[in-house]
Amino acid sequence: MLKTALLSASLAVAGYACSAWLTHDFQVWTAEGARRLEVALQPVAAPSVQIDGPGLATQALSQLLSDGQSVTLVDFVYTRCQTVCLALGSVYQQMQTTLQAARKTDVSARQVRLLSISFDGQRDNPRILQAYAARLSADQLLWRFVRVPDLKETQRLLADFQVIVVPDGRGDFEHNAALLVVNQHGQLVRIFDYAEQQLALDYARDLANASSLR
Amino acid sequence: MKLAQSWLKWHLAIAGLALCLLALPGARLFLEASMTRHMLVQFPLLALIGFWFAGALPRNWMRRLNLWNGYGISGLFASALLLAILMIPRVLDLALVDGRIELVKWLALLLCGAGVRLSWQPAGLLVQGFFLGNVLPMMVVVGYLFESSPVRLCNAYLLDDQERLGQNLIWVAATIGLAWFAILVRAMMRREAATALPTPSEDDPSTAK
Repeated sequence: MLKTALLSASLAVAGYACSAWLTHDFQVWTAEGARRLEVALQPVAAPSVQIDGPGLATQALSQLLSDGQSVTLVDFVYTRCQTVCLALGSVYQQMQTTLQAARKTDVSARQVRLLSISFDGQRDNPRILQAYAARLSADQLLWRFVRVPDLKETQRLLADFQVIVVPDGRGDFEHNAALLVVNQHGQLVRIFDYAEQQLALDYARDLANASSLR
Repeated sequence: MKLAQSWLKWHLAIAGLALCLLALPGARLFLEASMTRHMLVQFPLLALIGFWFAGALPRNWMRRLNLWNGYGISGLFASALLLAILMIPRVLDLALVDGRIELVKWLALLLCGAGVRLSWQPAGLLVQGFFLGNVLPMMVVVGYLFESSPVRLCNAYLLDDQERLGQNLIWVAATIGLAWFAILVRAMMRREAATALPTPSEDDPSTAK
């Protein structure tokens, strides 16, 4: 019986250690929670995948995102999307309006940009992205749209930023939509839920402000 | 003796074959493409194979294991722990993207089935009841969470799939609970019959033991 008690006790310790590791000390239970926590603890550099989009020359994503001045709020979309991307679109429209108003008085607001990346690079060519941007009345200087034409590179970008895209069997995609804050050096530093748009925007402006003061 | 040996070989071969079938890329892809199939088909099948394997353990191994498994407590406790860990939603996502986690998941499920096989009989009704009293409510709570969560808990799976899995988990837990309760009542009735008849007659099945 002593052996049984000993074994059970060590099993309990092992089980505790295992679940503590899985849940980052019981802070997160889902892969999405773990992703957000991991990014906050350890920023992820944007990969140097080639992108293009309306009004943009073909260049590396890392180059576009690390101009040393602007903080970028990134989201992942596909233009045919009827569900979560619509919500994201209106979140972005509201953030654009807020930023446009703040730009007149606040320097830091001028250094926050919006970027929508299409993960359906085969279909969403620059012409389609242009039409999509027009539909959302995006301000070209503030809110840009890009795609990654190469399928392999798309996969790499999605893997680096831990974006999971699932075909839903009806020709659409389900994906873990969120607001990704990328700093001036092209590093993904924080991920916010798209319901937390104000928080994400404030965080981005704060990040821009901190660097412009320096 | 020879018959028992060859039967044992068949036993192991069938379990091994079933394991290989499940490990085929096509089968894995199919079973893991849906959250419901992943958790309610692949998980139980793997545990069943573990259960089957454990039945083929040699006698002297069993004897040694039993020293560490008084009343089946260690085995059932290990199975309960493994099940609890495997129900963390992150595990399902991780198993899809990380081969190492997938391997650990398979081993954990095999062990889970083996743990139940080696411990169920020695446990007796009391320890069995304690085990089920922990595992089944846990399944119901997880099932309720899956069913009622407005957001997807696994990045790789769709919301309606998650709801379906949640409902099914509750049904499975209820079915297992009921089945065990029926066994419990039957055992109690037998015991009562045995005590009510101090001089057992020959055709009373309860005295066969």
